[in-house]
Amino acid sequence: MLVKVNSAAISGLDGFIVEVEVDSIRGLPGQSIVGLPDAAVKESRDRVKFAITNSGFEFPPGYFTINLAPADIRKEGPLYDLPIAIGMLASSEQIKIEMFKETVILGELSLDGGLRPVNGVLPMCMALSGNGIKRVIVPRENADESALVSGVDVIACESLLEAARYLNGQISIKPHTIDISALFSSKVSYDIDFSDVKGQGHAKRALEVAAAGGHNVLMVGSPGSGKTMLARRLPTILPPLSINEALDVTKLYSVTGLLSSKKSLITERPFRSPHHTTSDIGIIGGGRVPRPGEVSLAHMGILFLDEFPEFERDVLEVLRQPLEDGVVTIARALSSVTYPAEFMLVAAMNPCPCGNYMDPTKSCICPPYKVQRYWGKLSGPLLDRIDLHVEVPRLKKEELSNHLPGETSESIRKRVSLARDIQIKRFVSTQVRCNSRMLPKHVKEFCKLDNDAESLLKSAILQLKMSGRAYDRILKVSRTIADLDGSEKIKACHIAEAIQYRSLDRGK
Amino acid sequence: MLPFLTLPFDKLMISLRTSAGKIIAVYSDMGKESTTLGKEGEAIAVQYLIEHSYQVIDRNYRSQQGEVDIIARDGNFIVFVEVKTYSIGSFGTPLGAVRKAKKESIIHAARTYLLKNNIKDINCRFDVLAIYRSWSGLTSYDLIKDAFHVS
Repeated sequence: MLVKVNSAAISGLDGFIVEVEVDSIRGLPGQSIVGLPDAAVKESRDRVKFAITNSGFEFPPGYFTINLAPADIRKEGPLYDLPIAIGMLASSEQIKIEMFKETVILGELSLDGGLRPVNGVLPMCMALSGNGIKRVIVPRENADESALVSGVDVIACESLLEAARYLNGQISIKPHTIDISALFSSKVSYDIDFSDVKGQGHAKRALEVAAAGGHNVLMVGSPGSGKTMLARRLPTILPPLSINEALDVTKLYSVTGLLSSKKSLITERPFRSPHHTTSDIGIIGGGRVPRPGEVSLAHMGILFLDEFPEFERDVLEVLRQPLEDGVVTIARALSSVTYPAEFMLVAAMNPCPCGNYMDPTKSCICPPYKVQRYWGKLSGPLLDRIDLHVEVPRLKKEELSNHLPGETSESIRKRVSLARDIQIKRFVSTQVRCNSRMLPKHVKEFCKLDNDAESLLKSAILQLKMSGRAYDRILKVSRTIADLDGSEKIKACHIAEAIQYRSLDRGK
Repeated sequence: MLPFLTLPFDKLMISLRTSAGKIIAVYSDMGKESTTLGKEGEAIAVQYLIEHSYQVIDRNYRSQQGEVDIIARDGNFIVFVEVKTYSIGSFGTPLGAVRKAKKESIIHAARTYLLKNNIKDINCRFDVLAIYRSWSGLTSYDLIKDAFHVS
């Protein structure tokens, strides 16, 4: 008997429905799976065989052909185990097929008939509503994640037997629900705080501006001056994610398989700090079957690159396009996918290989050509895309022994959130979310300068010989500074502060 | 009289070339023993299958590239049975003894049998029957139904 079971697949971040068609003829026993299956799908034959017999069912005789439609898209992963097993059992009339039309089934089987979690369940579930699908059967570990989607009943099962008995109407399973607002209201608490960092008032202010406008930052300073400490505390002053942003981030983590069963929704902004030996594919995403890279995993959060010039030059240069566009498109022979990559780049580096260049107390031992080579790793186009260049000098003795508590993350975050609220109101009718992502037409519309500011900017551009992009960046940063100030127009003092964050341009 | 003429005819002579290049002859009765063991095993197997309500249709069916020990009917199934006979001291398990090449040989024979006899629309099965024999003449059986599939 021909049986059709609905399942799902993902291409990039978009889910779609896959129909698993199972039919058998009498003859020599065997199974074949068609419809561009990959190795994991082909192997499901063996898992299905043992799962069926170990669940107490009779393995149906005859030759089975299993077709995964649409047949022209490659099917990956073990998630078709459960639909195939259910299809075979239904084909041999051990399971009733009444519910199949409105049900989507996902899950990997273990040999004992238990269900294991699979990747990418959230984007798959998001694609289901509107297709006449009423319920989705998922492994228990994936239940929380699936329940984030409204409009479909989530039936969490622990085994093939449980799913079969549910489909036969022998047991009823209550749809799994999750309280999204409760997940959000639970306050994120950090173990680290901005007040831990002594001194560095200038750098703290720069990070506040960066957080308020979503700008990219490069911190330059001697070893031990607190660059890494500052960067790690940046998430504590960022405003919390909105529900839609959180779902976007969670989708990416679901596809990558980084979602734990305990934490189904990512409510904190991601902080990714890949090591400097990471490859360009690791950063940008890719592989034979494309997978999101670090830039996408840092979507809506921070990508922290410590020891910036130590990264391979290729790796640094591939950052240019996502920094500008906020998305990465990966084209491979098999498929082409687009992942979002709206992240804040926070980079940290020493001023020279030994780290003491320009230090007032210690002397640098690097020969000049080495310093030049070190800086040469950072190309002009890349530096142009970094809005804020911040020097983080070594702390003085008095500052180190100072025990006055600094400003806490909590109070900085309040100011940042106010500035972000202004931006959300400003960009309400556009796709843009923060100042750093403004398009040229938005810059023209929203970055209104008063007369003093206008003349200051003009003379700065002339004297410092800045590029067109640097000009644009200064306007965006000064917009953020004005927002922090609560000012409608950009004033001369805002422009002045923005210009001094371009120290590497000035130094040239 | 030459020594080899005194030997029974069904004993095998295996000649081996040593590393030094010298040819030595070894007389072995291994081959005879395993084939007779197999033959006896098949006879016992038929008996066992009949006792378990199989109807034996054919024995030692051969196709061009394959063979199957016993073809039988078990209810609605046509069953192709591979018989493995073990004497005490043998190694391995019956399923392990049916390797890829053997499987392909059985499958080929099965396909040919179904085609030549124009058998359609009947479910088939591959069983492996292991027979363990001890020196004292005790025999035990292990029938593995649906042992493998066409892949």
